[in-house]
Amino acid sequence: MTTPWIATGLSDDLPCGGVMAGRWQDTQLAIWRSASGQLSAWKDRCPHRGMRLSHGFVRGETLSCIYHGWVYGLDGACKHIPAHPALTPPAAIRVEAFVCVAQDGILWLAPAGALDAPPSLSGLRAVRSISLTCGVEAVLAAEPDLSGHDMLRGAVNLAGQMHDICLLAQAKPDGITLHALSDPRADPVHVSRWLEALRRRAEERVAA
Amino acid sequence: MIVLYDYVLSASAYKVRLMAALLGVKLQLEAVDFHPGRAHKSAAFAALNPAGTLPVLVDGDLILTESTAMLVYLARTSCAKWLGGDTAKAQAQVQQWLAFSGRLAASLGMARLHDMLLYPGDINALRHQGHAALRELEAALTERRFAEQDWLAGDTPTIADIACFPNVVLSQDGGVSLDDYPAVRLWQRRIRSLDRFIEMPGIHRLHELRAAPVQV
Amino acid sequence: MIASQVLNEWYPVAMEQQIRAGQRRDTQLLGMPISVALQDGVIAVQGPVRTFPVILRFGHVWTCPGTPAHDLFTVPEADQPGRRLVDVGVVRVKCSPLRAVENFLDIAHFPFVHTDVLGAEPHTEVNRYEVQIREDSDEVWATKVTFYQPQAAKSAEGGGQTEYMYRVPAPTASVLYKTCPARPGEWDVIGIFVQPLSEELCEVWPWMALFDDVTPQADLIAFQQMIFVQDRSILENQLPRLLPLDPGMEIPTQADLTSIAYRRWLKKRGLTYGAQMVAA
Repeated sequence: MTTPWIATGLSDDLPCGGVMAGRWQDTQLAIWRSASGQLSAWKDRCPHRGMRLSHGFVRGETLSCIYHGWVYGLDGACKHIPAHPALTPPAAIRVEAFVCVAQDGILWLAPAGALDAPPSLSGLRAVRSISLTCGVEAVLAAEPDLSGHDMLRGAVNLAGQMHDICLLAQAKPDGITLHALSDPRADPVHVSRWLEALRRRAEERVAA
Repeated sequence: MIVLYDYVLSASAYKVRLMAALLGVKLQLEAVDFHPGRAHKSAAFAALNPAGTLPVLVDGDLILTESTAMLVYLARTSCAKWLGGDTAKAQAQVQQWLAFSGRLAASLGMARLHDMLLYPGDINALRHQGHAALRELEAALTERRFAEQDWLAGDTPTIADIACFPNVVLSQDGGVSLDDYPAVRLWQRRIRSLDRFIEMPGIHRLHELRAAPVQV
Repeated sequence: MIASQVLNEWYPVAMEQQIRAGQRRDTQLLGMPISVALQDGVIAVQGPVRTFPVILRFGHVWTCPGTPAHDLFTVPEADQPGRRLVDVGVVRVKCSPLRAVENFLDIAHFPFVHTDVLGAEPHTEVNRYEVQIREDSDEVWATKVTFYQPQAAKSAEGGGQTEYMYRVPAPTASVLYKTCPARPGEWDVIGIFVQPLSEELCEVWPWMALFDDVTPQADLIAFQQMIFVQDRSILENQLPRLLPLDPGMEIPTQADLTSIAYRRWLKKRGLTYGAQMVAA
């Protein structure tokens, strides 16, 4: 059974010390990178009072919740409760973790226990993410040069030259987000503008 | 001292408060009971600004009622590098962003006033327009990043960034999330990390900028 | 079907001054459309089928969409001579009305959410305090609450230890009493009156009764709105949306005694509008 890896963003969009919102199917996650570069993906909910951890802040190798400052370590266990500084937090206070891996410039997510690596996209360069209010079907209908389902691939014409494009689809409640890679010779500005045009065509189809 | 007729929850007034703080300029803040008192619509206030809007900046006999004009004035009289480059092209780009900031106020800003302070409005249309504006901002910031540029105009922050920042960073107050705009997310964080940055309600302090304190 | 205990309580629905000035307010209470307006010089609340009873108190219009089980609570400090009474103005929040009250009762968030105003690192410790559910009045009270604050009130100069008392006299209303810088020995009173529009949407009417002869009204209002709107982005991002009344979903600590008592009190009285009973 292959691991159901889902792309959630570009690695460059999450610098060390940063935290962002991510999603694996219907599960909202807080994705963060420690000062030393360690990636973590946790259910986006602090066990204290349910505040989204993606609104939190990173200090060193820990993520703290913005509400009461509860500090969590890389193992997902609560290390410190500012209201009770002398207390060692009970082991039961921990967050549920997913697996997050950076590969080929993409942040990949899978449920805990994933054994294999994400699909290889070596030779391609990550360009940007773009969110659409339509589904993959509308994108494929708008761009006949692409094929696939969760991973759309094809060769497209950018400023008169053919380039390989790969779009990793991530389901969202109101549409999809595509994480785009291209062959490294493509000018990223052309790729970005081609994506904007693709979005317009795909969303117009649905609106029509 | 420059006087600013102010309201703590106004994104436009905050543009000016923020610019002044970043410049190290002291403002005399005069709080106006915008909500619930609607004092900005009173006859007394109309004598100062017939349009009945906030903020209003007064410096001697100069009265300004547009927040972007206030940014220009503060930068020009204090630290001109915040105005952006001297060339025609650079100045035009700054003007383009100042004009764009009006669209952010009209969409994201009005969605926020609707959701938070019960202003009337077609909330779905406002949010849709807000997302459209954010998409444009995301595309522009993405291309800036490809050129290894962190700011909207030029290689240092300018009034273009300050004019656009408040309505963008407060967008979730009006039901518009920034989760789908990574370049915008990184840009707003950069602004919040600037020396002498000040927050307003709805913008949390970046606690990560301060090392974990030693407990007393 | 909304429980009769919930219907038989009093809820804030408007600011008295605004209705007296001629404003007609079409709004929602517990999912029902209502309107508040002057009728023949008297403030009336019209429900979907009949008019609801009205009490004018603390600068606000209160109504009961059922049969009132008791009178609306009182705050004697509001009648003290020299008090500044401040209607802070409504703020709408996409959260459960119960979450809004619970946040008001919490102090551990002060250094992180009201940074450099109501609290600051490293002064994050919450000292032990006392909580009780008072049988005679059937209200939740927390007393002897203390916290170090950099700027506790508009009238305060610099930081200091502030003492608080918290009181929940109704399911969606709370009043706090805090050290008054202008008059040591007296309490400044700040209330939060929450109008439940639905289980996940509320309009919050903050109110104050202060001793402060110096600060202009607009500044007092601005200060309290600042505090509340700092909380708003927290409230709109708490999951689950409905307040869990059964243990298991959320993990409280000693600092949360008031909120634990509040949840227990809500559950005991069947005031579960805006709450969920089974751990999701």
